[in-house]
Amino acid sequence: MSEPVIELRGISKRFPGVQALDNVSFDVREGEVHALLGENGAGKSTLIKILTGAYQADGGQIFLRGKPVTIPDTRHGLKLGIAAIYQELSLYPDLSVAENIFMGHHPSLRGGLVNWRQMEQRARAILHELDADDLDVSRPVRGLSVGNQQRVEIAKALSHDARILIMDEPTAALTKHDVDQLFAIVRRLRERGVAVVYITHRLEEVFLLADRVTVLRDGRVVGETLDVSKTSQAELIRMMVGRTLDTLFPKTPAQPGEVVLEVRNLCYGRTTRKVNFILRQGEIVGLAGLVGAGRSELAQVIFGVTPAESGEIRVNGRPVSIRSPREAMALGIAYVPEDRKNQGLLLRMNVRENTALAVLRQLLRYGFIDYAAEDRLAKEYVEQLQIRTPSLLQQVVNLSGGNQQKVVLAKWLATKPKVLILDEPTRGIDVGAKAEIHRLMNALAQQGMAILMISSELPEILGMSDRVLVMRQGTIVAELDRAQATQEAVVAAAMGADELHMTLVASTSLNP
Amino acid sequence: MSTPAAPTLPPLPRPRRWVVQQESVLVAAILALTLCVSLVNPDFLNTSNLLDIAVNTAYIAVAAAGMTMVIVSGNIDISVGSMLGVCATIAGELARNDVPVPLAFAAAVIAGGIMGAVNGALVAYARIPAIVVTLGMLSILRGGLILVTQGRWIESLPQAFFFSQRSTLGIPNPVWVMVIVALLVWFFMRYHRLGRAIYAVGGNAEAARLAGINPRQVHFFVFVVNGLLVGLAAVLYASKFTAIQSNAGQGFELAVISGTVVGGVSILGGTGTVLGAVLGSLLISQIGTAAVFLKVSPFWLQAVQGGLILLTVLVDVLRRRRMT
Amino acid sequence: MTARTPTLSPARHVRVLRTQEGVLFIILLVIIVVLSLLSDRFLTANNLLNQTRLLTETALLALPMTLIIIGGGIDLSVGSTLAWSAVMLGFSWQLLGLPLPLAVLVCLLTGLLGGAVNGYLIAYVRVPPLIATLATLAIYRGFSFGISQARSARGFPEEFAFWGQGQIGPFPTQFVVLVVLIVAAHLLLSRTGFGRWVYAIGNNEVAARYSGIPVERVKFTLYALSGLMAGLAAFIFTSRVTTTRADAATGLELDVIAAVVLGGTSIFGGSGSVVGTMLGLAIITLLRNGLLLTGVKGDATFMVIGVVLIIAVLINDLVRKR
Repeated sequence: MSEPVIELRGISKRFPGVQALDNVSFDVREGEVHALLGENGAGKSTLIKILTGAYQADGGQIFLRGKPVTIPDTRHGLKLGIAAIYQELSLYPDLSVAENIFMGHHPSLRGGLVNWRQMEQRARAILHELDADDLDVSRPVRGLSVGNQQRVEIAKALSHDARILIMDEPTAALTKHDVDQLFAIVRRLRERGVAVVYITHRLEEVFLLADRVTVLRDGRVVGETLDVSKTSQAELIRMMVGRTLDTLFPKTPAQPGEVVLEVRNLCYGRTTRKVNFILRQGEIVGLAGLVGAGRSELAQVIFGVTPAESGEIRVNGRPVSIRSPREAMALGIAYVPEDRKNQGLLLRMNVRENTALAVLRQLLRYGFIDYAAEDRLAKEYVEQLQIRTPSLLQQVVNLSGGNQQKVVLAKWLATKPKVLILDEPTRGIDVGAKAEIHRLMNALAQQGMAILMISSELPEILGMSDRVLVMRQGTIVAELDRAQATQEAVVAAAMGADELHMTLVASTSLNP
Repeated sequence: MSTPAAPTLPPLPRPRRWVVQQESVLVAAILALTLCVSLVNPDFLNTSNLLDIAVNTAYIAVAAAGMTMVIVSGNIDISVGSMLGVCATIAGELARNDVPVPLAFAAAVIAGGIMGAVNGALVAYARIPAIVVTLGMLSILRGGLILVTQGRWIESLPQAFFFSQRSTLGIPNPVWVMVIVALLVWFFMRYHRLGRAIYAVGGNAEAARLAGINPRQVHFFVFVVNGLLVGLAAVLYASKFTAIQSNAGQGFELAVISGTVVGGVSILGGTGTVLGAVLGSLLISQIGTAAVFLKVSPFWLQAVQGGLILLTVLVDVLRRRRMT
Repeated sequence: MTARTPTLSPARHVRVLRTQEGVLFIILLVIIVVLSLLSDRFLTANNLLNQTRLLTETALLALPMTLIIIGGGIDLSVGSTLAWSAVMLGFSWQLLGLPLPLAVLVCLLTGLLGGAVNGYLIAYVRVPPLIATLATLAIYRGFSFGISQARSARGFPEEFAFWGQGQIGPFPTQFVVLVVLIVAAHLLLSRTGFGRWVYAIGNNEVAARYSGIPVERVKFTLYALSGLMAGLAAFIFTSRVTTTRADAATGLELDVIAAVVLGGTSIFGGSGSVVGTMLGLAIITLLRNGLLLTGVKGDATFMVIGVVLIIAVLINDLVRKR
């Protein structure tokens, strides 16, 4: 076994209120793919950022080929051969593929002139190594598929002669075809001796691609790094989930009533494909699936952000057309989006204004805002949801994540919805606020609200749902009632276990 | 970075198939317009007329070259009209007071560079949005100019001053300057690392930062170069007429920005070329001359030019929408 | 008015002086004191009232401009829209022989049309506001010259002068109109649902859309309103100078934007107020007037706009970083 190229020893990192990493040790060897697993908030991103130099660790040390190093910033990290490819690609849309690869370190002639010929040649050579000869290096990046843009990012990393390549959920937004190509690329890099840190939510990818695997949970390494050949899916799931959370979820079984929302053969682009489901009064339905399975996209189709291209939506049995969020609202549908800061809040406006935003029309008298009524409304929800804010006039940017999320909830509860779609309602908020939101969901369901909860946290799905829908590749692949919904069943459905089994049998001698 | 053993001149960029380049559209438009107008009035094809168009465009095009850099970097400069006035006055005042003409011209260019540096510093280092900074500078320079000149015109300039009225090898001087500036700036933006950094900063500032480019330096740099080019434009402008008016350059910023935008430089930054900007400026003034030859009332001219700007922008907006 | 005063927490009263409006108000007072010491003709009712005549057109344009910039846009075409509307007034009265009230209506409708075209391009075709209105700036100015053939219309009847030269009590007519509209714009922005929508869009357009706000309609309305106000300003301007000229109000958009930005409205949208804009405009106007009275030549006073603008933005940045 080769020596580690890079090794982290006892790394800790603390943010206000959170111990993001606690004494984490981790190493990567030349020519291996090292998978990093963990739920959201387990500390994976923090770990990557410390590796690339974007963050500095509070404690612990980093060794590069056995020598201690400090990585003050990402530029320095690149010089040391450490490159990362994030989910959010950082490209220049109007510049050519070749230039996107070489921006900042163009091959040059004397006097700082760019040698285009050499640059394009080298770009072609790199893409050739990636088996991506089909990419024309002189065309602009704008208009390339996500998969191709990602290949440009990988080529960019290689152009820095990266020996350590970190990939953060690279398959999240890819089509099947692009995923296959990506895997081929990763394997090639491994052959060339590159050390790859591969972060994923998809267990199947671990078995297809990785040599070793490390599981993070709550900022710590669970157990120790394992050889992929000596572990199993079931073991990894256990390691990731670990705790028993039953006590955390105060679920009271629902008394489902009438069908409020019914969706038939709903389609939008490639992300929502023939979706069918129903939602009853008083029940909480969990919508599980991997990142990129199309859950948020489905919610946005129902809410009219990206109106359906075909299919039918019925509210209270009546077929309706939803072309915009306004129309969805008028039908009693509310959507608490996943991206709180960009889609949910007016960060520079205050709690009162944010709370009243969706129901502003009802607070108008002859077009003028009835401030007393607005005040009453905001007060009511601040009390009901226990939003901790010094005053109603506090800008929401100054509130904690949990309280910000409650403000978004308040905004939508104020519309008195019949159907409440919650997209990752507890992502990135502390445990206390999380429990409060879960209690609230229960209470709302008891009052007869129909709740569709999208979540990537398995315990939350299992703990809160009366029924679980599982999505994969844009469509619903399983419906499980509370009794049937076990971790194994949901994960198997989300990942397409049959497919996984077959691929494994075909490609390796592993025992799945 | 490694230097190749035998440095050769870089190859010309190959034509790209996927996008109909704005430059080719403009060349086609200019040729088509020339053809149509000359069918109605053959005098339009007269060499002296065509050169006239070029001469009248030259000072706008030179400034448009600078504006291209500014807009590509994701900024805008609306103070160029006032800067032009100040630089022209400096050149004129110095020449009238017996400073050798080349020195007077140099002073105008340097003055432009200094004003550009002030703009650049306020944008790059004081972090004030470019539109606010240059709006302020527009008023300061315009007011300052009138304060100093008291609104008097500058007349009785020495003969040597009228650079723009002369020709070299049969081609008017301003045309030479325009062509040389356009080629130099084009070459710089196309082949120099710093030129490429301008595109990077305008296209995705965060990615540029990660690639080791300092966006603040780039912002500062483009404003300084823009200032120098406005100074040069001022020399072309001032030496074209027998007198320099104290309100010289009023509205000039709109002509320059229009030419640049028509030339395909995206106001959102990150894309566009100097050749496009120069061709855009040419097309706009060609339409002006064409209108005269077609006996269109000159008073409708601006409406036609404005309509053209809108048309180009709409095409650009729709084209981009299709590509994403 | 049915609007109620919002219940202010005591903390807000204390903060008032640290707001942009507070700072501007203090600057304004200092300017008034200094200028009245420099010239004894400055602080007279006559002079000040006369200033309100001169600033009305700019102010009328600055009101919708404030809303537009708060909403994340900009309108460069206001000066041209004004000229086009004024030309249409003169054209329809003198050449088409329409009765004057009808000609005024044409003037207002022209402004509205110009604004609506901007609004359509920006809200529905999604042309960036800066370019859309740069193009219409040229087009509307072109219309002014084309339609008028650069000839000015004059010879309006006596009573027409009332709006631009007349008085209501001791106050210039247009000042009274302006005050009414300032109050209306202030209430619209700060007290109505529409105003709240404008802030919301400037703050976060995506979140606004997700909250059911009709973003396109709001934007369209803002630009249409801006055009309408340009039409009104054209009418008052024509009445004041008794002639319609195609080159009227050239470059006025820059004064208007300067006043709005000086008034503390963020050029990126999301914050600002009508009161701030009016204070900004008052500072600019009084400074220029004061300098004129102390003997500085007319156009040179533009200089102070630029200086005050840049310094005010710098100070504002510093104050906010605290």
